[in-house]
Amino acid sequence: MKMKALLLASALTATMISSAPAMAARDYISIVGSSTVYPFATVVAEQYGKSTSFKTPKIESTGSGGGFKLFCSGVGVEFPDITNASRAIKSSEVETCAKNGVKDIVEVKIGYDGIVIANAKQGEPLKLTRQEIYLALAKEVPDPKNPDKLIANPYINWSDINSSLPNTKIEVLGPPPTSGTRDAFVELVMDEGAKSFEFIKKMDKKEFARVAQTVREDGAYVEAGENDNLIVQKLQANPAALGIFGFSFLDQNSDVIQGSIVEEQAPTFENIADGKYSVSRPLFFYVKKAHVDVIPGIKEYLGEFSSEKAWGEEGYLADKGMIPMPEAERAQYAEAVKNLKTM
Amino acid sequence: MDLTADMTNQPFPTQLFGDDAIDTAEEKAKPSSRQTVGDPFVENPRMICRDVYVYYAEKCAINNVSIDVGRNEVLAMIGPSGCGKSTFLRCLNRMNDTVGTCRVEGDIRLDDMNIYDPSVDVVPLRASVGMVFQKPNPFPKSIFDNVAYGPKIHGLVSNKTELAEIVETSLTKAGLWNEVKDRLHEPGTGLSGGQQQRLCIARAIAVSPEVILMDEPCSALDPIATAKVEELIAELREQFSIVIVTHAMQQAARVSQRTAYFHLGDLIEVGPTDRIFTNPRHQLTEDYITGRFG
Amino acid sequence: MQNTPQQSPITLRINAGLKKRYNTEKRFKRMGISAIVIAMTFLVFLFGSIISNGYTAFQQTYIQLDVSFDQTFFTGENLAAANFPGLVKKTLYSMFPDVTSRNDKKLLTQLVSSNAAFRLMGMVTKDPKLIGTTQKIWVLADDDVDMLIKGHYDRNVAESNRRINDKQLAWIDALAANGKITKKFNTQFFTSGDSREPEQAGIWGATRGSIYTLFIALALSFPIGVAAAIYLEEFAPNNGWTDLIEININNLAAVPSIIFGLLGLAIFINFWGMPRSTPLVGGLVLTLVTLPTIIIAGRAALKSVPPSIREAALGIGASKIQMVTHHVLPLAMPGMLTGTIIGMARALGETAPLLMIGMIAFIVDIPGSVTDPATVLPVQIFLWADSPERAFTEKTSAAIIMLLAFLMLMNGLAVYFRNKFERKW
Ligand SMILES: Nc1ncnc2c1ncn2[C@@H]1O[C@H](COP(=O)(O)OP(=O)(O)O)[C@@H](O)[C@H]1O
Ligand SMILES: [Mg+2]
Repeated sequence: MKMKALLLASALTATMISSAPAMAARDYISIVGSSTVYPFATVVAEQYGKSTSFKTPKIESTGSGGGFKLFCSGVGVEFPDITNASRAIKSSEVETCAKNGVKDIVEVKIGYDGIVIANAKQGEPLKLTRQEIYLALAKEVPDPKNPDKLIANPYINWSDINSSLPNTKIEVLGPPPTSGTRDAFVELVMDEGAKSFEFIKKMDKKEFARVAQTVREDGAYVEAGENDNLIVQKLQANPAALGIFGFSFLDQNSDVIQGSIVEEQAPTFENIADGKYSVSRPLFFYVKKAHVDVIPGIKEYLGEFSSEKAWGEEGYLADKGMIPMPEAERAQYAEAVKNLKTM
Repeated sequence: MDLTADMTNQPFPTQLFGDDAIDTAEEKAKPSSRQTVGDPFVENPRMICRDVYVYYAEKCAINNVSIDVGRNEVLAMIGPSGCGKSTFLRCLNRMNDTVGTCRVEGDIRLDDMNIYDPSVDVVPLRASVGMVFQKPNPFPKSIFDNVAYGPKIHGLVSNKTELAEIVETSLTKAGLWNEVKDRLHEPGTGLSGGQQQRLCIARAIAVSPEVILMDEPCSALDPIATAKVEELIAELREQFSIVIVTHAMQQAARVSQRTAYFHLGDLIEVGPTDRIFTNPRHQLTEDYITGRFG
Repeated sequence: MQNTPQQSPITLRINAGLKKRYNTEKRFKRMGISAIVIAMTFLVFLFGSIISNGYTAFQQTYIQLDVSFDQTFFTGENLAAANFPGLVKKTLYSMFPDVTSRNDKKLLTQLVSSNAAFRLMGMVTKDPKLIGTTQKIWVLADDDVDMLIKGHYDRNVAESNRRINDKQLAWIDALAANGKITKKFNTQFFTSGDSREPEQAGIWGATRGSIYTLFIALALSFPIGVAAAIYLEEFAPNNGWTDLIEININNLAAVPSIIFGLLGLAIFINFWGMPRSTPLVGGLVLTLVTLPTIIIAGRAALKSVPPSIREAALGIGASKIQMVTHHVLPLAMPGMLTGTIIGMARALGETAPLLMIGMIAFIVDIPGSVTDPATVLPVQIFLWADSPERAFTEKTSAAIIMLLAFLMLMNGLAVYFRNKFERKW
């Protein structure tokens, strides 16, 4: 009796499994990609799912690189239709795509994301430059006594770098190298900070990347995991520490943490939107044109995403902390979406 | 109660074979001799064992044993611990097959059928040669199911009434019916040790075997339960051939008609029980039964 | 001569050592008790912090609206296509007539959840007779309002640093003074799928996903695991191959589960072409994860069945398979079930292998079958923990509570089955 029930269950499962590959069609949009774009794309998807007759798209948070890898694997229902990215597609990725038959790709920029350096409200508000941040976090920095030579980072307190900075220990919680936020931070802050030293700027590409992008490992920079909420919590517990994370987390927690001013500009919505705040990056998604007429609802999803009520200045994405593009840029990309203009 | 007296009065199959190991009844075989003395063979045997060797991996546990099991007799096997009694007993229904390292050589026949022939199926063989173990091992099922199990798996019954009949007769034969007839559906493991052992005997006889093998069936029982089982063995002889391993010489004397003495894998001496105990022909047998070692 | 009985030197020797022996025992007991106390403290602390963070999520803030279902809104044929967001806005404006500026109106509409419009739509399409009437309807408040009402926001920080500004505070206080704000039991949390709006987010989608996934995993890994355990333990020849298989199974039990995710991606999705992100593939991957555990537990359970039972069965002429199915397996079953449920409990908590097969995903629709895209409870926890909105903090803890409740349920089942099967005789 028990045995029979078991056998029956396994037989059922077996048939279920063997019949699975037969169901070829897919009636929902499959989206992969960046975890930075994830909180915005999901809002659009949910809105779209509720207000249309189509199913809500499935959005996987795979990271930008992982997203491109899946996206470029081929054309067909088993491959994603759209990939989100917190950086532009690389030429090597375009090649992979083409090799696998993914030729017509529509690139859509959706807005900007600021990266903020923040501390708890109890701490002192900071005014930093990118050079100072570089000096505080790089593994090797120019010797203060002999400014043409690199030495292991000697700075312990912020005031060692610039006497106007507070006399507190350098302690920064930031994302690990696997994170897109870390890539953007390195590119926008560390590279720029390193470039402010002539002799580093003159180095060959490889050497420059090593000097500018290697973060110190003596405990001043703490890899705090991919979870930005965790960094926010740790900052509250430790007012002396600084944290690096996306603007939307500052936006949601502005009662307990404050963003440091970088290059004279505070990380506010307006400053990022105007491009005054230097540490910000564009966000994108990429659409497989070959899927547009095969998978139902892609056009409508694109329409929802590029509508003013979504990505406009007063749109719901702005409410979620995404920095909208200027009006002209929005118009340009809305047009590209409408005509499915390929790259 | 004196079972021995009752037993030794029984007429005994007298025809003897292979009595040439010694010349006269008075002269004892030397302790160094490993040749079987006495009368290992009987007329019209139930089982025949010839030149049996048993090995555990490389170790020889039974060394060239030849013996017969007669009809309606109780054959007792005695000998010091570790001499191979259980090993030999377990050859008779191929229970040794379950020991991976065990290898059996020689000829063992049940009613002229070579039980080690590749064509022989152990399942029916074990129905014909039942077994009762040292520790009572009823199934963790009801008393009824314990006895009914054998007939059920062998398809001996076609309906429930027949099954109930078999269960009743088997339990009656095992002398347990009156004690358990009101609690047939209670667990067999809830019985006392002696009752459990008799339940195991009932379970074995429920499939109407020809031979019943018993490996020290009373060693885990108290004297009263032992007496009951011994009494039962005497009754069962009417119907079955019984081979019993025992370490208690008195028990062998009480229940068996023939006794076989094993020593370190060798069959030393076989003979009518009363003669073995009164006039052993091998020095080793004498040493053992007089308690010089064991 | 003394009157006390003379003690033998042996007794004296024994007595001399007694105290030391008892002290050792006492010391060990004390160590054991302190170990348990430490473990319990951690457990209480863990549960305490999760429950204190999460219990508020079981309530949600609602705002009462006086909605007049004006005929003018429902002119078209299709009731569902009516401008329900507009109706919500109009209702709010009529409740606060002093709000006139465009900016203020926007702030006002932010107080209620976007779900309110869908709720009105549901009501009207179900019961068109509502049109023309005025109703008092409780709708979900926005998550920021909810956080404020639950006391997670500090009213005293500077306005610019608050997500609720002074005007909104005044409106909320006015609503509260009129009894138009209340906290109700959060049924939505147990009935809906994921959402990016914390007040609308629920765990039912993930729970269903977990149930489907575990069902597949159980339906496959239990029979396969039990069969493999029986074969290896009872039937397999004792040779090098069997040893090799045994070593490999033991090794597999220790392999990080993400490896199984990679394997699942390669075989089930890329090679067999099964659909990504589905409980079907998730269940298959978790089958791989749990199989070694089940096989090992199964073999241990089979080993623990006393050999006397096997001999009894064989001695009566049962074939090997009869011996196993009639006697050994029923006795080993409690142990096997315990092993299986422990394996399932592990599977319930897995996220790493599911990453590879696309189950770490935003999925709103409740999965209706094993081939619908779905996510599972631990993934839902992971995704919520990673969300910027503050209100997700309590949802995260609430989801953890639910996951723990499931784990306890499963372990309870394990204990129940063990007792049930063991008590039989
Ligand atoms: N399963 C086994 N594997 C290896 N050796 C065994 C096994 N069973 C018994 N033996 C060996 O075979 C010899 C005879 O054992 P056994 O037949 O049990 O003796 P007895 O029953 O006469 O006390 C002993 O030396 C014992 O160590
Ligand atoms: Mg023995």
